[in-house]
Amino acid sequence: MARSRLSRPKAYGGCSFGNEQDEAEMESAMRMRTAMKKHALVLGMILLPTLAMAATPDFSGSWVRNPADSDPMPNQMYWVTREVGGGGGGGRGGRGGRGGGAEVTLTVQQDAKTLQVSQSNEIARKYTLDGKAHARPTDTGIQKAEDTADLEGDSLVIDTVEPFGGMPGNASLKIKETWSLSPDGKTLTITTTRDIPARHQTFKEVYTKTQAQPGAICSAGCIGPQ
Amino acid sequence: MKISRRRFFAGAGAAAGAFATTPGSGIAAAQVAKTPKAVGLPDVWGQDFLYQWSPPDNVKRDTTPGPNVIRLSNSQDITNREGTDYAKMFQTMRDNGWTACEAASAAWLSRKMPDSEITEMKAQLKAHDVVFYNIHCAGNIIAPDPDAERWQRHIIDAYHSAEACGCSMILTHAGSMYPNRNTAHPLNWSKTAWERSVGALKNICKATAGGKLKICIEPVNTESINNPWAMKRLREDVGDERINCGLDIQNMAYAGVAFRMTELLNTTFEVLNGMIGYIHAKDFVWDQMLPGLSWAMNGTGNMDYEVFLAHISKIPDPIMYVEFLSSPEEYQEAQRNIRAIAERIGVKIHGTQPPQQA
Repeated sequence: MARSRLSRPKAYGGCSFGNEQDEAEMESAMRMRTAMKKHALVLGMILLPTLAMAATPDFSGSWVRNPADSDPMPNQMYWVTREVGGGGGGGRGGRGGRGGGAEVTLTVQQDAKTLQVSQSNEIARKYTLDGKAHARPTDTGIQKAEDTADLEGDSLVIDTVEPFGGMPGNASLKIKETWSLSPDGKTLTITTTRDIPARHQTFKEVYTKTQAQPGAICSAGCIGPQ
Repeated sequence: MKISRRRFFAGAGAAAGAFATTPGSGIAAAQVAKTPKAVGLPDVWGQDFLYQWSPPDNVKRDTTPGPNVIRLSNSQDITNREGTDYAKMFQTMRDNGWTACEAASAAWLSRKMPDSEITEMKAQLKAHDVVFYNIHCAGNIIAPDPDAERWQRHIIDAYHSAEACGCSMILTHAGSMYPNRNTAHPLNWSKTAWERSVGALKNICKATAGGKLKICIEPVNTESINNPWAMKRLREDVGDERINCGLDIQNMAYAGVAFRMTELLNTTFEVLNGMIGYIHAKDFVWDQMLPGLSWAMNGTGNMDYEVFLAHISKIPDPIMYVEFLSSPEEYQEAQRNIRAIAERIGVKIHGTQPPQQA
């Protein structure tokens, strides 16, 4: 108690008070300190995940493919062998149809636990960012695919395993996408490897962030803002 | 869902059935009791539902491997060039994972191979454990006259050459009413076309009477043999057990079955049990607005390769001929997919493939 009293003026900037007043002030200060500790604890609980999020990349936004800096993408719907202009080499499943002449825009929505990707005329994807395999129907609706997505340092890694084309009895297709952002957050690079027994392929795509609101360019089937 | 054979083919098309229901023909009348009245797939979603093109969700997929080891075949090397180094040729095939081969008839018959060369070729086949089983015949046995007779003669010559080379079969087609049999003539499914095909094959059988080789017919949608029942009916009408099927089930695909290939596989192998000479390995996708099917890399399209390989491994001495690809690299890619799918379900494939280049 004596220590408290001695320390009190120090604590209050050396001001001097009468005894009764000192008692009341002391109680009030103690309550305030306790309250501040509680607030700090609550604030910490609120801020910690936010601070943690700040350390992870945020891919949210609308992204337009930069064809000059991107590899040409094969037909990802089919691997046609007698197509005019040579064979394909892509495959149904995963995001398909990027490239070609039309502008390609990805819309990404990300929160602490999930990432949603949509693209015009494509089936939207929702990934759970927990590093665990999650089953979903293939785009054909008649087979199963398995996605595993996780944030690894500055990158997002998405692994997908499914029968090629989502059709029964086909060769197994493994897709690995690695997403990364430029330091200023305005450029998204997606490196995709596609493996089936027949062929191993790697593609790089570069996207530039646009001002469009997430979901604004979505056509039917895309995931827009809720 | 239990599907009877009759119901299975009670849908689209009417190729074989058209003949069965036509009275007045001795051939047709004899077949009425044992042939179907129509071809096509069964109802999936109930008879009241308009569309039957999507697969049922309870389709039977038996991927149990059979006891037989499949040989993969390729025809890129064997051309009857004079001065061929057979030891080198068959070693190259083996090095690339191929353990069987077939020749194209036009090139094969362009040079009369001396007996000594045939002996050497057979010795090298044996030494390298490669099977030369077939001469794949060009031509059109029902082409407009006078070409039909010329092509029938060509088939007969191929038959005798195949016998001399130790092959087990030749492969030909039912033919088209156009000169080019790859072009669908509107009357290819008429009674006239059918009778021309049957007559042509009777001629070929008569000219090769006593031979042991199979005369395999390749089904194809542009011709009358575009379903397993028609194939079976053809053997009955020709009346010769040597008529077999060079099964190219991919050639039977059309819009209505494009997504029901598992069922088509199951039924075809059941209907043609005991009369499949060998099998073509291709794949396809439906990638156009019109019902246009495009050839695809094996194991990436609509063919159910697991079920396909399981069925093939139950045929005696099965040979799977990989065709319709554009480069040696694509053939290696196709082979990798086929071997990987076979391994996944426990089907054995003869020989080994070189590892993939990094």
